[in-house]
Amino acid sequence: MKQVVVHPERCVGCRQCMLACATAHSQSQRLTSAVLETPRPKPRVHVGVGRLEEGFPNRCRHCDPAPCMLACLPGAIYRDTATQTVLIDADRCINCASCAMVCPFGVLRYHADRLAPAGKTVAVKCDNCIARQIQGLVPACVEACRTGALTFETLDQAMKRKTDAVSRSMSTTAVEAEAPAGVSLLHQIKKVQARLRT
Amino acid sequence: MHHVIIGNGIAGVSAAEAIRRIDPHSAITMIGDETEIPYCRPMISMVLEGALGPERLPIRGRDFYASLKISPLLGERVTALDTDARQVTIGEGRTISYDRLLIASGADPRPIKAEGCDLENIFFLRNQAQVRRMQAVLPDAREALVLGGGLVGFKAAYGLLRRGLKVTLVIRSGYPLSMQADETAGAMVLAELCRQGLDVRVGVEAIGFEGGTAVRRAHLSDGTQLACDLVVVGKGVLPAHSFVNRSQITVDLGIVVDAHMRTGAAHVFAAGDVAEAVDLARQTRWVNAIWPEAVAQGRLAGQNMAGRSVAGTGSLGRNVIRIFDLDIMTGGIVSPEQEKGYEILQCHDPRSHTYRKMVFQCDRLVGVVMVNRIEQGGVLLSMIQGRIPVAIDKEKMLSPGFNYAQLLP
Amino acid sequence: MNKTYQQETIAQDSQLLLKKIENDAATTVWDRYQTQLPHCGFCEMGLSCRNCVMGPCRIDPFGDGPRQGVCGADAEIIVARNLGRMIAAGAASHSDHGRDLVEVLAQVAEGNGSGYQIRDTAKLKRLAAEFGVTIDGKADLLIAAELADALQEEYGTRRKALTLLGRAPEKRRKLWTSLNITPRGIDRETSEMMHRTHMGVDNDWQSLLLHGMRNALSDGWGGSLIASEVSDILFGTPTPRPTQANVGVLKKDQVNIIVHGHNPVVSEMVLAACQSPEMIALAESKGAQGINLAGVCCTGNELLMRHGVAMAGNHLSTELVLATGAVEMMIVDYQCIMPAISQVAACYHTRMVSTSDKAKFPGMTHREFHPLNAKEMAVALVKEAVENFSNRKTVYIPVEPVAAVGGFSVEAVVGALGGTPGPLLDAIKAGKIRGAAGIVGCNNPQIKQDHGHVTLTRRLIENDILVVDTGCAAVANAKAGFKVAEAIHLAGPGLQEICGALGIPPVLHFGSCVDNVRILVLASALANALGVDISDLPIAGAAPEWYSEKAAAIGVYFVASGVYTVLGPMPPVTGSMAVVNLLTQGLEDIVGATFAVEPDPEQAAVLIRRRIENKRKALGLDARSV
Repeated sequence: MKQVVVHPERCVGCRQCMLACATAHSQSQRLTSAVLETPRPKPRVHVGVGRLEEGFPNRCRHCDPAPCMLACLPGAIYRDTATQTVLIDADRCINCASCAMVCPFGVLRYHADRLAPAGKTVAVKCDNCIARQIQGLVPACVEACRTGALTFETLDQAMKRKTDAVSRSMSTTAVEAEAPAGVSLLHQIKKVQARLRT
Repeated sequence: MHHVIIGNGIAGVSAAEAIRRIDPHSAITMIGDETEIPYCRPMISMVLEGALGPERLPIRGRDFYASLKISPLLGERVTALDTDARQVTIGEGRTISYDRLLIASGADPRPIKAEGCDLENIFFLRNQAQVRRMQAVLPDAREALVLGGGLVGFKAAYGLLRRGLKVTLVIRSGYPLSMQADETAGAMVLAELCRQGLDVRVGVEAIGFEGGTAVRRAHLSDGTQLACDLVVVGKGVLPAHSFVNRSQITVDLGIVVDAHMRTGAAHVFAAGDVAEAVDLARQTRWVNAIWPEAVAQGRLAGQNMAGRSVAGTGSLGRNVIRIFDLDIMTGGIVSPEQEKGYEILQCHDPRSHTYRKMVFQCDRLVGVVMVNRIEQGGVLLSMIQGRIPVAIDKEKMLSPGFNYAQLLP
Repeated sequence: MNKTYQQETIAQDSQLLLKKIENDAATTVWDRYQTQLPHCGFCEMGLSCRNCVMGPCRIDPFGDGPRQGVCGADAEIIVARNLGRMIAAGAASHSDHGRDLVEVLAQVAEGNGSGYQIRDTAKLKRLAAEFGVTIDGKADLLIAAELADALQEEYGTRRKALTLLGRAPEKRRKLWTSLNITPRGIDRETSEMMHRTHMGVDNDWQSLLLHGMRNALSDGWGGSLIASEVSDILFGTPTPRPTQANVGVLKKDQVNIIVHGHNPVVSEMVLAACQSPEMIALAESKGAQGINLAGVCCTGNELLMRHGVAMAGNHLSTELVLATGAVEMMIVDYQCIMPAISQVAACYHTRMVSTSDKAKFPGMTHREFHPLNAKEMAVALVKEAVENFSNRKTVYIPVEPVAAVGGFSVEAVVGALGGTPGPLLDAIKAGKIRGAAGIVGCNNPQIKQDHGHVTLTRRLIENDILVVDTGCAAVANAKAGFKVAEAIHLAGPGLQEICGALGIPPVLHFGSCVDNVRILVLASALANALGVDISDLPIAGAAPEWYSEKAAAIGVYFVASGVYTVLGPMPPVTGSMAVVNLLTQGLEDIVGATFAVEPDPEQAAVLIRRRIENKRKALGLDARSV
C-alpha cells in the first residue's frame, strides 16, 4: 500500500504543501477561490519550525495503535482499514481536545470545517486525501512538494531508495555529496546563526 | 479459562476487548453495577449541560456483550473477593469463580461531612443515573450550589450555568483546578468563570444544609448562608475497593499494581481508577483516575490476562479542559515543592492570552501547564511520558511555536 | 513572565523596552519574524522566480524536481536575476533619495527653497568644478542652478561614464572599462537591470552579475555620492561634534520628537523648527522644559553628523523607542520604516506623520513636504507635537544615554590629520594602524541586535584596525560606547597611540547609509596618495547585520570598487553554487575583491584581519600572521 512518506532533510520550508492541503479540503478546489470560502479551509499538514529555523512537514502518522483513537472520548476517531487512515467523524467529535493531549506529534487542530456540521468546531487532521485517492490522485501535499520531502510510495520503495542512496555514497566512485553544496552552505550559516542567538 | 472483570467502565471494556483480540474462545464475565451499555463517563456533564442528548454517551454498540461473547452481570456490585479460593461474591452471596480476575471497579465520589447531606436535590455527578435524576429537578431549580473546584465540580458548575441557573461554586482551596493546574492558570480560570457570571467562593466549604425534604439553604464555613435548590458535590473520587481483602492484596490509596497491571495476588489484575501504578512524572505510585489511563491500563491488563506478557511504562496524570474562551492542558507535576530542586520556566503573554509553565527535574520534563495554544501539548506530555532527556534549549519549549520539529536531531 | 530578551538584542535599552512592550500587549518585528518561520527555502536560496506569469517558478535545490523554470531559466539564471533585481532596488532607493536633494538644490537656485540655503559654498564650487561648471565670477545660486542641471544629467542615459568616477583611482577606472562595467547613467543602469531580468533577455548569469556590479557602481559613484555631496552643500559638511545615543536621549520633561527615515530634507527643517524661540516658548507654556529632537535610523545619522542631534536607536529599535510613552511625534520620510510601526504608536499617545508622497504608511497622518512649504510645514508639525505633550501618560525611559562623537566627513578626517591623508598613511606604513575597516549596514532579526556590529568592531580595534562606520552599525557602536576619545583604551597599542595623539575615537562615525560613499572617497584618496588601486589597500568592509536591498547594492559597489566585504546574513544566492563561488572567490581575479559570508562576528574579525595583513604583505609592509 502506498502512503505519504516524509523526508525531513528535503524540506525547504516553503509551505506549498499547506496551501495545497487547504485547497484540497476546500469546496472549490482552487486556491484563489478557496480563500474566500466560509469556513475558510485550513491545512492539515503543518510546516513546523526546527531548531535552525528550517522547515519540517508535520503530518499525521496514522499511528497503529493510534493514541488519539484510544483517548477519544466520544469514539469519533476510527481507522479506515483499506488505506490505514485514522479519520475523525466530525458529527461525533465533541471538540474536547483529548486527542491533542495524547498526540506525540501535535498534528491536531480545532476549527470549523466544510464537512462538519455548520458552525461547529471540531478536531481536524490529515485524512490522507482519501477523496483525491479515490479519483486516482496522489495526496495534495505530495503533489505540491517540489523537493521530494513528501513522497507517495510504499514504505518498501522508500526504504530501498534510501538504502540505494547510502550505498551509492559509500561506494568509491561516489561523487554525490550528502546534500547539494548550496543546501549545505545555507545549513551551515543557519547553524552559526542559531548558535549566536543563544 | 474464565476471565472475570469487575467493572464495565472503560478499563473493563478495554480489557475485555484486548482479551478477545488474543483469545477468541475463553469465557469472559463482566460484573458492573451500571446497567447501561458502556458509555463515556467524562461526557455525562455535557448531557447535564444540554449540549448532548444521552443517546450520544454510548461508546460501544448495543451488542457489545453479545458480539464479544461476554456474559454480563449488570446491576451487581462485588461484595467480597477471596483470592485463595479464586472467587468473587456478588450481592447477597452468589459466588463466581475465576481463572483470571481484573479489578476495574473504578471509583466512587468522595462523600462530604456536613449536616443535612441526605436532603433531596443534593447530588453527585458520577454516572448517567445521577444525571437523569438531576435533569428531573432542573426545570424547577433556580439557584445551584456546586461544591469542589476540581474537574467534576467545575464541569457541573459550567453545565448548570449553561442551563441558565444562578451558580455558586464553593472551593476549599484558593483557586479552581488546584489538583490539575497551578496558581497562575487557576487564577486565569477563576477570572474567566467570574467573567461568565459564576459566583465563586474560594477558601471555604459547606458545613451544613437545611430544608424540608429538599435542600433550601447551605451554611458555609465562613458563616455565610446561601439559598440553593440544587447542590452538586464534586469533591473528587475514591477508588472503589471495599471488597478487597487487604491481607491478600496490597492496597494503598488504590490497588497497587506492577508494570503488567498485576496485583499482589496471583492471577488478579487491576486497572483504571481503582489502580495505583507508577506515575511517570513523580516516579512513585499514584492513582491517576483519568480516561486515557483507564483505556491504556485496561488494554494492558487484558493483554496480560490473555497470556501475552506486556509491560507498561507507567501512568501520567494529565487533563485538558475547555471553558468558555480558555483552553487548559496540564500534566505531571504542576506545583512542585520548592525545596525538591525542580527547575521551573514559565511565560505568561497577555498579548496572545497564553500561559505556559514547565517543570523540569534535571534534564527531564516532569510537568506542564498550558493555557491556550494547546495544540502542541501532546508533544510535551509525551516527552514527560517518554522520560526523554531534554537536549534543546528549555526556553524554546516555552514558546507557543514550539513543535515536534525542534526535537529532531 | 521571566523573559529577558537577551536572545533578541544585546542593547540594554532594547531588552527593557521589549519587556515593556510585552506588558503593553503590542507586537514587534521580533514577534512578526517568529510568525514567518520557517522562511521559504526556495526564496531563501534565490530559487523562486516571480518575474512572469508563465510561472511563478521554483527550482528544486536537491535536483530531483524541476531544474528549470517554465521559460527554461535554470538555478544560475534565476539566482542571478533575483540578485540583479535586488541590487537594482537598492541602487534605485539611494539614487532617488539623491535626486530629491538635487531637486531641492535646483529649487534653492531658483529662489524657491523656503528655509533651504547653500551652507557649504566651498563644496558647491568644488563639486561644480568636477562637473565642468565654470565658477569664476558667478553667483552661488547660479552655480547651484548649473550644478543641479549637471547632476540631473547624471541620472540620464546619454553619457559614457558618470562624472564622479573621476574620484576613483585610475587603475580602477581602467579595470571597469576593460570589464565593460563603467556605469553610464544612474537611472539607466537600474532601468537596464529591470530590462535584462525580464523573461527572455539576459540569460547568461555571469553577464547578469557583471551588470549587477555596474548597477551598484551607479549607486556608489552616482546616486549615493550625489545624495551625500548635495546634503553637505545644503546642510553643511559634517565636522566632529559630541552627541549621545540610545533611548536615554529622550527627555522626560521635554517634548520629544523623533525623525525616522533617510533624507535630511525633512529632518533639517524639523530641527530648525524645534529650535525656534516661539516653539520653545509654546512648549514651556505647556509645562515642558523644551523641545528635544532625536533621530532613529539614517535621517537621525544625517542630523547627528551635522548638528550633534542625539540618536535614540537603530533599525530594530524604531518600534521600541515609542514604548517609552515619551514621544509626542514621530516624523518619517522614507526607507526602512516598518509599516507596522503605527500599531505600536497606537498603544501610546505618539502622533505618526509621513511626509513624502513616495512613502505613505497605514496609521499615519500624511503631510506632504516640498521645498516651497517645508519651513511652514515643519513649524506646524512641531506645534502639533508640542500640543500633544499634555496627552502623555506613563513615561518609561529606562537607561541613561551614552556619549559619542560624530561628524567625521572625509574633509573632517583629513583636517584632523593636518590637511593631508599623509599621517594616516604613515601610521599604516609604520604598522601602528594595521588598516581600516568600514562596518556598515542594518539590523536584522536573524541576528541578535547589535551583537554583530559591536563584537566585530571590538575585535578589530583591539587589533589596531581603525573602524569607520555608518548607518545602524554606527548607532550600535555609539550605544556600545566606542565613539568617545576615552574608548581608545579598548584599542590595540598602535591605534591607541595614533587616536590618542589626534584626540579622536578609534571608531569614526561616517554618517548615514548613503554616506558609505565617504568611505569610497577616503579609500580612493589613500590609494591615489600611494599610487595604487583600492584593492591594494589594507582595508575591508563588513555588513554584519544587513537586511535591505540597499545594503546589497552597497556591498556590491564596495566589492566592485575593490573592497573585500564580509556579510553577516547570507544573501539569497545559495541556490547556485556557481554564483556563490563567483561572489566569494571568482571576483578576486575580476575586480580584486570578493564577498565572504560569516554570521559569527568573531570569525568575521579573523577574516578581515587576515585580509588586511595579506594586503600589507603585498604592499611590502610588515605583516602579522592571523
